[in-house]
Amino acid sequence: MATVGEAVDLGRMRQARRRPRRGVFGILFAPVTLLLVLFLAPMLIMVQMSLVRFPPNVDSGWTLEHYGGVLTNELNRTIALNTAFIATTAMIAMLLVAIPLAYFMVFKAGKLELLILLALVLADELAPVVKIYAWQVILGRQGVINFLVPGEPIEWLIFSRFAVILTLTTTYVTYTTIPIYAAMKAIDPAVFESSRDLGAGWWQQTKKVLLPLAAPGIFIAMILVYIPMLTDFVTSDILGGAGGGTYMMGQRVRDLILQDVDWGSGAALNFLLLSVSVVLALASYRLAKLNRIEP
Amino acid sequence: MGHIVVEGCTKRFDEVLAVNDVTLAIPAGEFFSMLGPSGCGKTTTLRMIAGFETPDEGRILLQGRDVTAVQPQRRNVNMVFQSYGLFPHMTVGENIAFGLKIRKLDRAEIDQRVAEVIRTVRLTGLDDRRPAQLSGGQQQRVALARALVNRPAALLLDEPLGALDLQLRKEMQLELKQLQARTGTTFVYVTHDQEEAMTMSDRIAVMRGGVVEQLATPRELYARPASAFVAGFIGVSNLITVRVDRREGGLLAMELADGERLLAVDAGGAGEEVQITVRPEWIKLADEIVGERESRVTGTVTDIVYLGSVTQLLVLLRTGERLTVHRLNDQVDHVDPRPGEQVVLRWAAEHSYVIGTPAAIGDTNTSPAAAAG
Repeated sequence: MATVGEAVDLGRMRQARRRPRRGVFGILFAPVTLLLVLFLAPMLIMVQMSLVRFPPNVDSGWTLEHYGGVLTNELNRTIALNTAFIATTAMIAMLLVAIPLAYFMVFKAGKLELLILLALVLADELAPVVKIYAWQVILGRQGVINFLVPGEPIEWLIFSRFAVILTLTTTYVTYTTIPIYAAMKAIDPAVFESSRDLGAGWWQQTKKVLLPLAAPGIFIAMILVYIPMLTDFVTSDILGGAGGGTYMMGQRVRDLILQDVDWGSGAALNFLLLSVSVVLALASYRLAKLNRIEP
Repeated sequence: MGHIVVEGCTKRFDEVLAVNDVTLAIPAGEFFSMLGPSGCGKTTTLRMIAGFETPDEGRILLQGRDVTAVQPQRRNVNMVFQSYGLFPHMTVGENIAFGLKIRKLDRAEIDQRVAEVIRTVRLTGLDDRRPAQLSGGQQQRVALARALVNRPAALLLDEPLGALDLQLRKEMQLELKQLQARTGTTFVYVTHDQEEAMTMSDRIAVMRGGVVEQLATPRELYARPASAFVAGFIGVSNLITVRVDRREGGLLAMELADGERLLAVDAGGAGEEVQITVRPEWIKLADEIVGERESRVTGTVTDIVYLGSVTQLLVLLRTGERLTVHRLNDQVDHVDPRPGEQVVLRWAAEHSYVIGTPAAIGDTNTSPAAAAG
């Protein structure tokens, strides 16, 4: 009897195990198909483009010369450094805004919490180009700030690295705040009182309790905003300077393809950017996971 | 002068009076409890001692020093929180060492003190676990160790056993009491559980509505409650309003029909009526002749509840009052009366403890049935 019962139970268990798999397949069918058609296919075309001789025909033959050219180009190196500097500075600025803001929302805002959340989402819903032009109105030679500040107009406010960094910061601050906010939501507020009770001042509470517990959210936020900044070209187009100090990778790829019609180099550079992004994402994922095991 | 002094402290939250002119003096080494229903001000008082709340009026003294305006991180007391507030990203060892590291003690001393306290609270071998990998009782011990390792002038405990199941709670009660005796630390303990407070405390402050109703030893609170509220909150008690018909021989007497009477010791107070409390175990069924100095009333048994060591009878008196009576089950062939049976109850005049006039008691709701819960 017992064996029959066991057999029946096993059968049921097997069924139960199989069913969710079928369900998962059903749920994922549409998104996976969309990703394959709209994301993976163009990407493969781009990879192919980066690997064939000019002009790109079926019998042009394979080559690595685009990668070689892109990597040895002096200008590309300068642009990469520009981009890294601008994106890193903007990211640090965002974290300096987002961490205190998320803390305030979760632990101090009370009824204001949802209102701030709504404001952040709404700010993000605005079309980026509209926001960028709004900054032009604020930062321009005859803009709001120069109108309010007496004396000669301040030159570095617009068409400068400052303008690009400031605008990128405000464009992506929602994406920085939300993951950190979510991570802090999971913190039991009692840990702040208990750490205070054990003698920790505000800085020690921040360093030893708040930041380690919010770290997974902070890593996610960093990666979420860094990658789009690497490829952003609109901001620098409108607010960047003429001197080249704000010329970014996104612009470079666009110009290679649309101006120089050098599809091979554009695709190669784009693929390199993508690789850097993937490496960064994996690294931050590792860091976030590591943090859970060893603070 | 006590080790911890709360002096005329008042605290309001948005016009709600949480603590109203509370004064307490707690000597060093005492196990002191604040007991009362939720909203009675016990936790607020504890948080004022810890420094998490600042009194609107009054002072807090620790070891003779006025600390009213001192931040919690600078007070030489540590708290065990109801939800523990353990650091989930640190191991047990790191949690316990936290306070010592903040105080920048040297590595060797930190290690030695952490190892010592881990033995004291019996967490040996769990140093490298994370709080999430521990049971509720073990988490509780970590919270205790993390506070005790700092050798505070007093340990403040806010319903620390509230999250544990009954069996573990009882074990931890005894353990806490032993720990307190062993370390000689002053414990200030907040609970709404009267049994818990009675088990562990040297003295208990029973609080209600932001004031201390009575501050006494567990024995005194039980035998001589200062108010109907205390009588009802500590253990099971019967409250009876006695009309004073006669005062003689140091006794107050209320005469009922058929030679029945209620007696209480005359404490000298004036008044037409007094309220008395009688503990259920002091009331006997009158198998023998009732003595001169004993109350004697007849009633009908309405309910019988067998509780193991005692049987609880609910007896409806002819005056309409309902008394709870406990009969000790100390004999195998014990026969209890049945529901509907008439019984005569008796108890010594000394066991009718007079707690004051009904007018002074106010609207206290202390039916014995409710108090039995």
